[in-house]
Parts: sequence; structure tokens; C-alpha cells
Amino acid sequence: MNNSSRKIWENPWGYPEGFIVAAGVVLTGILLQATTGKLNPDLYAYPVNVFVGALFVIGLLTIYFIFNKSRSVRWFSTVYSTLPAIVVLLVLCIILGFIPQFPITAEESQLPLDFFSSLGWYQMTTSWSFVLCCFYLLIILGFTTLYRTTRRQSWRDIGFYLNHLGLFIALLGGVLGSSDLVRLTMTVSKGNTEWRGTTHKGEIVEMPLAIQLDSFIIEEYEPKLVVIDNETGRILPEARPESYMYEGIGKKTQLAGISLEVTDYLPYAAVFRDSVHSNIVPMKMDGSTAALKVKATHEGITQPVEGWISNGSYLFPHSILQIDENRSLAMPPQEVKKYSSHITLYTEEGKTEKAVIEVNKPLSVNNWMIYQYSYDDSKGKYSDTSVFELVYDPWLKIVYIGIVMLLSGAIFLFVAGPETNNLKIEKIAEIESDKIKK
Amino acid sequence: MTWDSFLYFSMGSLLLWGISDISAYISREKITPLIFRAGGLILFGLFIAGLWISLERPPLRTMGETRLWYSFFLPLAGLLTYMRWDYKWILPFTTLLSAVFIIINIANPDIHNKALMPALQSPWFAPHVIIYMFSYALLGAVTLVAIYYLVKGEKLKNTSKIMIMADNMVYAGIACVTLGMLMGALWAKEAWGHYWSWDPKETWAAATWLGYLIYIHYRLKKRSSNKTSMIILIIAFILLQICWYGVNYLPSAQQSIHTYT
Ligand code: HEM
Repeated sequence: MNNSSRKIWENPWGYPEGFIVAAGVVLTGILLQATTGKLNPDLYAYPVNVFVGALFVIGLLTIYFIFNKSRSVRWFSTVYSTLPAIVVLLVLCIILGFIPQFPITAEESQLPLDFFSSLGWYQMTTSWSFVLCCFYLLIILGFTTLYRTTRRQSWRDIGFYLNHLGLFIALLGGVLGSSDLVRLTMTVSKGNTEWRGTTHKGEIVEMPLAIQLDSFIIEEYEPKLVVIDNETGRILPEARPESYMYEGIGKKTQLAGISLEVTDYLPYAAVFRDSVHSNIVPMKMDGSTAALKVKATHEGITQPVEGWISNGSYLFPHSILQIDENRSLAMPPQEVKKYSSHITLYTEEGKTEKAVIEVNKPLSVNNWMIYQYSYDDSKGKYSDTSVFELVYDPWLKIVYIGIVMLLSGAIFLFVAGPETNNLKIEKIAEIESDKIKK
Repeated sequence: MTWDSFLYFSMGSLLLWGISDISAYISREKITPLIFRAGGLILFGLFIAGLWISLERPPLRTMGETRLWYSFFLPLAGLLTYMRWDYKWILPFTTLLSAVFIIINIANPDIHNKALMPALQSPWFAPHVIIYMFSYALLGAVTLVAIYYLVKGEKLKNTSKIMIMADNMVYAGIACVTLGMLMGALWAKEAWGHYWSWDPKETWAAATWLGYLIYIHYRLKKRSSNKTSMIILIIAFILLQICWYGVNYLPSAQQSIHTYT
């Protein structure tokens, strides 16, 4: 069976047909984009997507069982159709990775007007060409998996099914489920209860749950010291800015060529300025700032400089310590270590629940997930409002089934390795020498 | 342990790895190169562990910290390949590549501080990045194999053995890429509310994955050309480089922050 003597479209089909069909899929997508305009995900929301999904799977099964003797259908379960399909999807992915993307909510007028916009590639993942490519891949995956069941099964097939059926499930669930995904934000201030969410478009939606913010706590890392250039304000040394994180009173360090000793530390301080200089006094209240007292020495100066440095807050200005004409010590804003909202949750069914929500620790209620999203930046650690994101994704369980299968499939691949490992080395050498003869 | 000791630890490790490479060519037994390689790996591993302890967080946050893991895993991948497939040249090549990354880290050290933004404080963080770095090392090693193959060309004797070795490395590599990618997806769901948002980093991770899938499926046909297979490997590794650090320089990445908010 020598492929080269075969005319195109003459059986058995090979890679050329594969590339033509895959290119045809993209072309169809481009034509659809041009004639029907952009794919509006809202139109495919539940129940349309369930219907489409069911139709797709039933259609695959029907075609497979009626036409499984047909060579064209058989061809859809070979590497000859697979490879071009993956190549074309890869090319679309590369384009997606190169050109900037715009959110699906963006208006037509916000997109650049050029060649790519008529193809819909500024919103690649919802463009006709991309979505059709995914479905084309799903068709191949489906046929491949079905066809695979007809041969004598061995233990290696476990890995095959985990990878291919897993990808089929995850991809189908992800593509169809994306139109049902709802993401809202909800801003709650301390002591208040909120049940209205805001969509990305700014619409207000009433939720089947309410959140009462009992308290909001921000933990910060220890304050840091940097040496800055008085003129430019840049952190020194400019080539590789250094910083020193507070480690305790009495600790000494070197920073950008200056020897420092921390002589005092006030985690909560107030800054009072009179006409001559500013005084720093301990005071624990909303708006107090962190302050470090530092003794600084460097070559060429006999008298060390000592004084307070603070990063300020919404209430107090920051204070720097001038070392010489060119340089000063300053304290950048502290980095946030952790922020958490202590809430009471009320559901429509009348359930009440106390919970703590943090970044990476969302709360799940019914099909909703509640995430710690943000807070009032202008007040920093004294923020008394917390912003939550609420996400609804009813297809998540299906996608997770696929992901878990793919994870197991990957472990299988790692352990089992390629199939040639089971072949005798002589057999492979034979194939190799065939190749050379040809 | 602070970053300042990196010079001593890395030079010590490189020395041990160098001895291991030479001994592989001199000694008949595999045990000598194995011992020296392992010694270098332990020394390097001690530095990573010490840095981890002193930073009070996994050292995986900055680009330099990922390079650190890469220069650890490459000699390991080289050792595993050598033990399994007997090719001595993979040892010096992986040592050399590791040295390149060590030198970048010495010449251009990162700012290491203890701060770890809340989104990164997750049990997924360490396994996700470490498994990715391991796969990068493995796929880096198989890229060396591909280059070796293409340069030597006709002169190679046992091509089928090299192809099987490449297949094995890619299978293990793509298995780790898949694990790393999906762990990333599960983590993203927990941290950002969705498992896949086509952020530039995610897009290039998908592209890399597809690149190696092409190799695997292409190789299934016994009549596929070895040369083409090796070229696919090199293209896939370029995609991997874009995913690892190249995205930072792409115009599309300027949007990255927006998709994450
Ligand atoms: C992107 C969609 C995919 C398509 C369309 C596809 C298609 C195929 C096809 C047609 C075969 C040959 C089957 C046979 O000869 O019976 C195959 C085999 C294989 N595929 Fe895929 N595949 C896809 C994804 C994957 C993934 C995600 C993995 C693993 C990470 C994978 C790993 C394999 C392996 C290891 C084999 C050889 C199976 C064996 O003989 O044990 N494939 N695939």
C-alpha cells in the first residue's frame, strides 16, 4: 500500500485529505462568521446547550453504528484525520496567543478594525472557526474511542480510554458549559447584608442567597525598607533594587551600601507634624501606620543619622529619612499576606451558616461558589468593605469527571510508556530497515 | 541559607556533575557516574531545601526560582536517561544546559523575599510548578536528543533505539505536562473562579501540550519519518519556551492582568 501512487480523495485517505478537511472546517467557520456574525453565547445557554450536546452524542453514535463499515467514517478514527485536526487547532491557539484578546462583552466598536476582526479572532475562543475546530476534534475523538472498542482489548486500552474519553468529556462539557457560566460580584460593607450581585455589564441581579459581612481582616507582611534616590524616587541600586524586610529590633543589615540598625518598631503609630518636624507616637486606631526607627551609617559620614520611617495610611502621610543629599530611606506599602471575610450566609431555603472566605478558600453553596475577590484599596488594611465574586457553573461536575480521567490517563502514560516498549527490538529494527530501503 | 551561598553550592554541584560525566566515559561501570551525579544532586537539593526554609515559602515564585529547579531537574533527567538507555553523551549535554541556567541565575539574581501573594498560597502551588519544571527538564533533554539526531543525520547507527528512547522521554514528559496543566486548572478554579480562562499563559500551555500530542500521534504510524518527528520535537520545545517566559514579552500578555481580574 504505497501512498504516493494514490490520487487525492482516492481511498485510503491519508494526511493530505486530513489537512484539506481540517482547513475546510476553519473555512466554514470563517464563512459563518462573515455571514451570521459573531457567535452569541447567550443563545446557547441552557436548555439549548443540553439539547445540542445530546444531539451531538446521539448523532455520533447513530452515524457510527449505521456507517461503521464505511471507509470515510473509519478514516475519522485514524491518525490521518487526527494529526491535521490537532495541527489546525494548534495554529489557532498560536494566533490566540499572539493577538490581544477582548472580553466577550466588548462592543463591536471597541475592537480594532482589520482583517482579524472580520474573522472574529479578537475573541478567538468564541469565534466560529475555533468552536467548529473543537467540535471537529470531538467528532474524531468520539469515533476513535468507539472504534477502539471493536478490537481485542488489552490492559493498554485503559490508558487509551482514560485519555481520549476523558478529553472528550472535559472538552464537550467545557465548550457547552461556557454559555451557562455566570460570574457576578457583590460588595458588602461591615455589618450589612447584601443579596444583589452585579454582572460584568453592570446589571444588578437578585441572588438566591445573601451575605452578611461580620468582619474583614487583612494580615500584612512585615514592613520593608528601601533606599531611594532623592531626585528620581527610584529604589537603589537601580540595576537591582534591594529591600530589607524587618526582622526584629536590634537587627543590623546592609542595604544599597548603607549600614542599618533597626532601633525601634511601632506596628501601630500616629504621625503628628508641627512646623519643624514630625513626631511619631504609638497609637492603635483605624488608620494608624507602621513605623521603624533606624540608625544609618555609611562611609564618609562620621555622624550616623537616626530617625523614624513610615509608609503612611489613608490618614497619615508617609515619612522618609534623609541620609544625605542624594539618598533617603523609605518604606514601601506593606504586602498583603492574607485577607479574610467572616460572613453569615443566608439561603433562600432559610438556612443560616457562618463561614470564613479567603483567597484560595472559596465557599460552595448549591451550585454557587463564593470567592474572596477584593476590598476597598483606598483604605488598605482598614477596609471595611469586602468584594466577593459569585460563580455559577452547573457543568463543573462533568468537566471534573473528564479532568480526573485525564489525570489518571497521564499517570498511566507515565508508568506504561509507549507501546513499542512491548515490541521486540528486532521487530523495530526490521521496520527501520524497511524504511531505509524505501 | 540565603541566595548568597548559591555560588558555592552550584559550583560544587557542577563540579560533581562534571566528574560524573567524565567518569562515564572512563569507567566501565555505571556506578561511578551515578554516585557523583547523585552527590551533585543532593548538594543542589540541600540548597533548594535551605532556601525554602529561610524564605518560609516554596522557592517557586520568581523566574530565577523556576530556573533553579530547572537546573536541578536537567541533570536528573540526564541521569535517568543514561541509566535506562546507556547514552553517555546525554550526561555532559544536560550538565552544560544546567550550567547555562545556573550562570544566568548568578549573573542576574532575582530579588528574593518572603512575600507570597495570597493567590499563590495554595497546596497546589508547589506540586503544580515542580511537576512542570520536571517535565520541562525532561523535554529539554529530549530536545537535545532531537538536535543530536538531526546533526548526526545519516551517520547514526542504531536509529530505532534512539527513536524509542525519544518516545519514552516524551511519554513521561507529556504525562507530567498534563498533570501540571490540570493541577493548574483545578487550582485556578479555587483561586480565580474558573478552571480555564485562556489567559496568555494558559493558551501557550495548551499550545505546548498540543505540540507534544502531535509528536505522539505522528509516531504511532510505523512509516512516519524520524527526521520529521525530531523537527516536531524542536518546534514543540519552542512553544514550551514561549509558555515558560516568552509570554512576558508578547503584546497579548499586556492583557493578561485584565483577564485575571
Ligand atoms: C486531541 C484529541 C485526540 C485525538 C483526536 C486522538 C486520536 C487518536 C487516534 C486516532 C489514535 C490511534 C488509535 C488507534 O490506533 O487505535 C490515538 C492513539 C493514542 N493517543 Fe490520542 N487522540 C487525542 C488526544 C490524546 C491525548 C490527550 C493523549 C494523551 C495525553 C493521547 C494519547 C494517545 C496515545 C498514547 C495513543 C496510543 C494508544 C495506544 O495504542 O496505547 N491522545 N489517539
